[in-house]
Amino acid sequence: MSHEERIELAHRQHVKYFMRFLNILPSSLSSHDTTRVTIAYFSVCGLDVLGSISSINLELRQRIVDWIYQLQVHPNKESGDMSSCGFQGSSTINIDLGAANSHYRCGHLAMTYTGLCILLTLGDDLSRINRKALVEGVKALQTDEGNFSATLSGCESDMRFVYCAACISYILDDWSGFNIEKATEYIIKSINYDFGIAQCPELESHGGTTFCALATLALTKQLDKLSTEQVEGLKRWLLFRQVDGFNGRPNKSVDTCYSFWVGASLKILDILHMTNYGNNRKYVYETQDCVVGGFSKWPDTCTDPMHTYLGLAGLSLIGENGLLEIVPTLNITNRAFEHLKTIHQKWATES
Amino acid sequence: MSDSGDSDIAWTLYKDRPEWKDITPVSEDDGPNPVVVIAHSEKFEDVYDYFRAVLKKNEKSERVLQLTKDAVELNPANYTVWQYRRDLLKALGTDLRSELDYVESVIKQSPKNYQVWHHRRVLVEWLQDPTLELELTGDALLQDPKNYHAWQHRQWAIKTFGLFSKEMAFVDNLITEDVRNNSAWNQRYFVVNNHLGWSDLNVQREICYAMEKIKFVKNNESAWNYLRGVLLHDKRGLSGNAVVTSFCEDLYKNKCRSPYLLAFIIDICDEAIKKGELSCFHNPDRAIELCTALATKYDKIRSKYWNYISEKFKIAKNEQEEKEKQQENGDKMDD
Ligand SMILES: [Zn+2]
Repeated sequence: MSHEERIELAHRQHVKYFMRFLNILPSSLSSHDTTRVTIAYFSVCGLDVLGSISSINLELRQRIVDWIYQLQVHPNKESGDMSSCGFQGSSTINIDLGAANSHYRCGHLAMTYTGLCILLTLGDDLSRINRKALVEGVKALQTDEGNFSATLSGCESDMRFVYCAACISYILDDWSGFNIEKATEYIIKSINYDFGIAQCPELESHGGTTFCALATLALTKQLDKLSTEQVEGLKRWLLFRQVDGFNGRPNKSVDTCYSFWVGASLKILDILHMTNYGNNRKYVYETQDCVVGGFSKWPDTCTDPMHTYLGLAGLSLIGENGLLEIVPTLNITNRAFEHLKTIHQKWATES
Repeated sequence: MSDSGDSDIAWTLYKDRPEWKDITPVSEDDGPNPVVVIAHSEKFEDVYDYFRAVLKKNEKSERVLQLTKDAVELNPANYTVWQYRRDLLKALGTDLRSELDYVESVIKQSPKNYQVWHHRRVLVEWLQDPTLELELTGDALLQDPKNYHAWQHRQWAIKTFGLFSKEMAFVDNLITEDVRNNSAWNQRYFVVNNHLGWSDLNVQREICYAMEKIKFVKNNESAWNYLRGVLLHDKRGLSGNAVVTSFCEDLYKNKCRSPYLLAFIIDICDEAIKKGELSCFHNPDRAIELCTALATKYDKIRSKYWNYISEKFKIAKNEQEEKEKQQENGDKMDD
């Protein structure tokens, strides 16, 4: 198949692709058992970017919303403790536990963030979330260093969860669980000698973690804490990620997902227009499977929901026809973001 | 990792094991109408039904320790299983050395899994013994020299336990093997920054090292970035170190047009302008010329960026001319 043929968006196939993932998955995906919410996020938000949220009928919409709410961890019944609150990624540990071991059932920042995005995208009014508890759940996970752990029970802490915590706080319109000053300090410490940003201080700069850091600074209105030198250095580092598509680190291979991670970072810095859209677009399309739908990280390899969503999101950033516009910081569509604004207004009048 | 439930013929489900008769399995409650349902194998469901049951009971026993192994094998990303396993290790007083061996074998199978590396780190913290960490991460980096997890664990172990002594040799090997290995260059910076320090001597040595490697492969972003990083520690900056500036001009004279070289000279010009130390090599006109060359010939994919940089120099140039004019006028008035 020639590139000319491949450069059409296989819209119908991608819709089918996401709809399949919303239903049932093969046992080969068992290692995704605890992160099913993220698969739902890629599928629901992917359909939204495709302008096809209506493919999810009312019945399915209700099922998804109910399923997400069921994964919400509520305050401890006896003690009222809220440190475990958040969304779980699946119902694997969705069981009632006693006081001695209740901490094994706890929210996970990435699941809380993507769970909230799903609810917003499906037009839910967030009336069934326990806002206060979710904020307390975020608060319990910030470390002395300023970054965040994913969960209360035994997880690593790094830049990914700083980003998730910032998104949650933004969506809940409540920053009392997020120490902005400390987080900003952590982010600035993680800027490397090449001006990219790493998962934690002194590690190698990475496109994904640079996105997490910049989006957090944007959501917390701290971008002005970067010096001119840092901003110009970041611009250079990010722009040099473009080969045809983008890579995530110097001298690594190009990968579809960085059309979003790097593209969105550049958009946040307001210089995405300085990239070459044509080459970027062409690369992403080379990773499209136009028969069964989906995108992969490299041409002629296996597709997956994450690269499919991020491929579409990356194309949306450069204004691809037929795709809805994306808010680069929160990684949801403008349509869903407008809905969030009405919820914020409602909350503001209630309080 | 895939769940290959039917591949091991000799497998006995937990529900068919007499020694587990006392436990009532707890099946997953995924609500009345779940979505994104994974069609797990019977083995997967069985193991996790029993895991939920013992978790609920809070049973801490050897047989549960074994059960967590089976659960991890089916899904090494389940952080709750790992956490429960750690709590079991503590409660049972299990030999942590054998646990190190075990987690090493899991890391070998899933070297890009966050949970296994976290488990490893906690064990090393408990034991306060990092003797095996350099070898373990070294092995993982042999498989994939850019494995982010392995580098993160390695940096943590080195920094926490002060294991810097042989790290420069390790890094040097990796860079010799693949001069484009950006992770290795980053590690080099890490070692100098935390261990050797940025003395004048070290700065000079690292500058020479980077220049050597650039001579070898000129179009290597990693080495150029490193050179720039080292120069952050040179009081003379980018533009004041004659060794570096003449190195760049030599490359340029010898027809090297790597975008990284041209970008570097542009940055030298920028610094020279800011310092008010213009020369025939480093001035706004030269920078504008290089930006044009990049935008139209050597780095076309970033042409808009180079035009944007060029504009900045044009403004700087105008300001400078303005200044000169004013000075001239001032001189005339003095006459
Ligand atoms: Zn990717």
